[in-house]
Amino acid sequence: MIRHLFKLIWNKKQTHALLIIEIWASFLVLFGLATLIAYNVRNYLQPLGFQYDNVWAISLNNNQDTVAIQEKIETIFQQVKAFPEVESLSRMSDSYPFSHSNNGRTIKYKNASSQITFISADENLSKTIDIPMVEGKWYRNADSVGKYRPVVINRKAEKQLFENESAVGKILGDNDGKGVWIVSGVIDYYKDKAEFMENKPYMFELLKSGDTWNKALVIHVKPGTDAVFEAKLVKNIASIAKGWSTEIVYLKDARQQQHDMTLIPVLIFLIVCSFLLINVALGLFGILNLSIARRRGEIGLRRAMGATEGKVTTQFLGEIWVLATFSLILGLLFAVQFPLLNVFDVAAGIYVTAILAAVLIIYLIVTLCAWYPSRQASRIHPAIALHED
Amino acid sequence: MLANYIKIAWKVLLRHPFYTFITLFGISLTLTVLMLLTSFLDHLIGAHYPETKRDRTLYVERMVMSDSTAHSMMSGPMSFKFLNDYAKTLKTAERAAIFSYFNGSNAYVGSQKIKLNITFSDADFWRVADFDFVEGKPFNEQNIKNGDYVAVITDNFKKQYFSNSDEPVVGKNVEIENINYKVLGVVKGSPITRPFTHADIYFPYTAPKSNYQNTGMRGNFIAMILAKSKGDLKTVQSEFQSQIGRIPLPGMQGDFKYSELEVRSDPYLEHFIMTILNGGPGLKNIFYGVIGFIMLMVMGLPAINLVNLNVGRILERASEIGVRKAFGAPIKTLMWQFIVENVFITFIGGTIALILTYILINIINASGWIAYADLAINLQVFSVSIAVCLVFGLLSGVLPALRMSKLSIIEALKS
Repeated sequence: MIRHLFKLIWNKKQTHALLIIEIWASFLVLFGLATLIAYNVRNYLQPLGFQYDNVWAISLNNNQDTVAIQEKIETIFQQVKAFPEVESLSRMSDSYPFSHSNNGRTIKYKNASSQITFISADENLSKTIDIPMVEGKWYRNADSVGKYRPVVINRKAEKQLFENESAVGKILGDNDGKGVWIVSGVIDYYKDKAEFMENKPYMFELLKSGDTWNKALVIHVKPGTDAVFEAKLVKNIASIAKGWSTEIVYLKDARQQQHDMTLIPVLIFLIVCSFLLINVALGLFGILNLSIARRRGEIGLRRAMGATEGKVTTQFLGEIWVLATFSLILGLLFAVQFPLLNVFDVAAGIYVTAILAAVLIIYLIVTLCAWYPSRQASRIHPAIALHED
Repeated sequence: MLANYIKIAWKVLLRHPFYTFITLFGISLTLTVLMLLTSFLDHLIGAHYPETKRDRTLYVERMVMSDSTAHSMMSGPMSFKFLNDYAKTLKTAERAAIFSYFNGSNAYVGSQKIKLNITFSDADFWRVADFDFVEGKPFNEQNIKNGDYVAVITDNFKKQYFSNSDEPVVGKNVEIENINYKVLGVVKGSPITRPFTHADIYFPYTAPKSNYQNTGMRGNFIAMILAKSKGDLKTVQSEFQSQIGRIPLPGMQGDFKYSELEVRSDPYLEHFIMTILNGGPGLKNIFYGVIGFIMLMVMGLPAINLVNLNVGRILERASEIGVRKAFGAPIKTLMWQFIVENVFITFIGGTIALILTYILINIINASGWIAYADLAINLQVFSVSIAVCLVFGLLSGVLPALRMSKLSIIEALKS
């Protein structure tokens, strides 16, 4: 039966060439869309690793003021901490959660190396944004006295650098391989560019006490705290440090912004693709309708020879499946290159999922489009069909 | 003859409403997507309010410093001093505006927080960019010299900040980060998709916190250089490059020793492409390639679809073709007829698409997804769409016509 179908299609390959190209192109479009969606969905399903409700970030900029920066930061820190609305606060670099800023560097351990996103933060960060520890503990300010600077890394970094060993207590080296940091703890996920971000290696370093460069504050406020307190806070900071700029960002808003940056392109792509596919489906339906209607004589003959309605329907469905398989084989030749060549550094699993999804959807579309015309055709009465010829 | 063909096409369309629907659906939605895309690109790149002189403006936005081994690199906006020395002094240019990229800030009214973007600019900014002043006027060199605490605000910010927004606000104060600024003027805002001119409040560069005093080469300022005419762009560019070339190398920026220094002055399109693709020459072609590929995908699939449909449907009209052939119509005439028919249908689809696009554009403009969005179907967008229509019509007409020309008279008449 299948061999017969293949022969049927092959004999009319010129007529079917355009149909094959159409299904092939639809497959490629679907593959692209499915990859994008699979990538984002997988990322979304991974936990964020911290919590952002009622957390604000304050970025400070000293502008032209260069006098006693460290003392002013200390004063601001103490003052902000003293407000009853503030439950806890932490000082860190400008790459606070959901910010647009990023700082990367290469970290080495023996022969393994990893491109790690680097964040400076003090001992309170894990408490302020509630990062659970998996192993070891978050560093304390008192740890700064040792020879190596204490750091906390995430699971992803641990895996890249240590494979299956535990990271706690190990010494990490910088680009030249010189030992600089000691791992004091490991956290699980930390996706600070919101849920749609890929899980990447991260490293937190204890903020040096004399540091005047990293002066963003992350504060956890009591629920219900509003802009009145915010205005008070800004006024307070301005009275301590004249000429400084203060910007307060609610992490909730910053997260939304990060989401929009991911979702809007996906949404546009989704709309354009679904329009293309509706278009293709309608067209396919029209073409199949026409071509099946033209084969009334053949259907009549088959029915007269005793073929059941079901058998006739199956034949037409089989034909379109064979056609779709041809196109999909062509499409797969392209699509398989992506996981094989590791294009765009996306995990092979995502490409495979996308390919499977695209194949499934293509079969679904062609089946839906061929179903109605085939059913219609199979109901033709042999006498009428043969009479017409 | 043409009228006759069109009449036939019309009758054919009416004969099978279902197929006509499929055809028109495909054509009109495809063209709608294309028109929206063109309109959006035009919104991003074209010369529109307030950057109406974009075709003779050069944008200086980034300084790239790298060390001799090209291992480390520093890049970003420049200091006011640098731009004042090298961009402002160009002899071939008409003028240059120096300003900062917009920065986030907050204002507080009662328990309300207003998020806003602030920009620091010089007086020439208002001459290079053509803002519409709803009230008042821009700040001038005198304000800057005096170090006045003045500001130009947008109508949107005015509405948010002043509770009684119908009254004129020129002369009133706005408090931003505990400093009071006197409002000098109110402008119609610029959309965020034009990052050079977008902001909610514009301060003179001498206002506090602008950091114009930075002495190094790096800072937070960028520039727009206005050439006297479009043809002058190249001259201005080369003068600017020769100025940059005279800067002694290697030099120090903070702790960073650089031996190469690159500052580009580009027309907006080039600048735009460089930004989204992160620099490098020859990117213009890649950018056009990508856009072309998307357009082809968006257009190609429905076109193949239409060709498929047309090929099938033309055989339905075999008897008509047979009769015409039997009476001596040459293949060329027949092909011409089918192409005209197809182009005619495409134009009907095009008209529907135009209406759809118009509606969608109005929805987008009114929805506030992009504040101050001014997407429009202008002459350029329209002519591109017409061209696309033609290509589309030809594309989906030629193949079926060729197919039809192979039909033998006997075969055709038999059915």
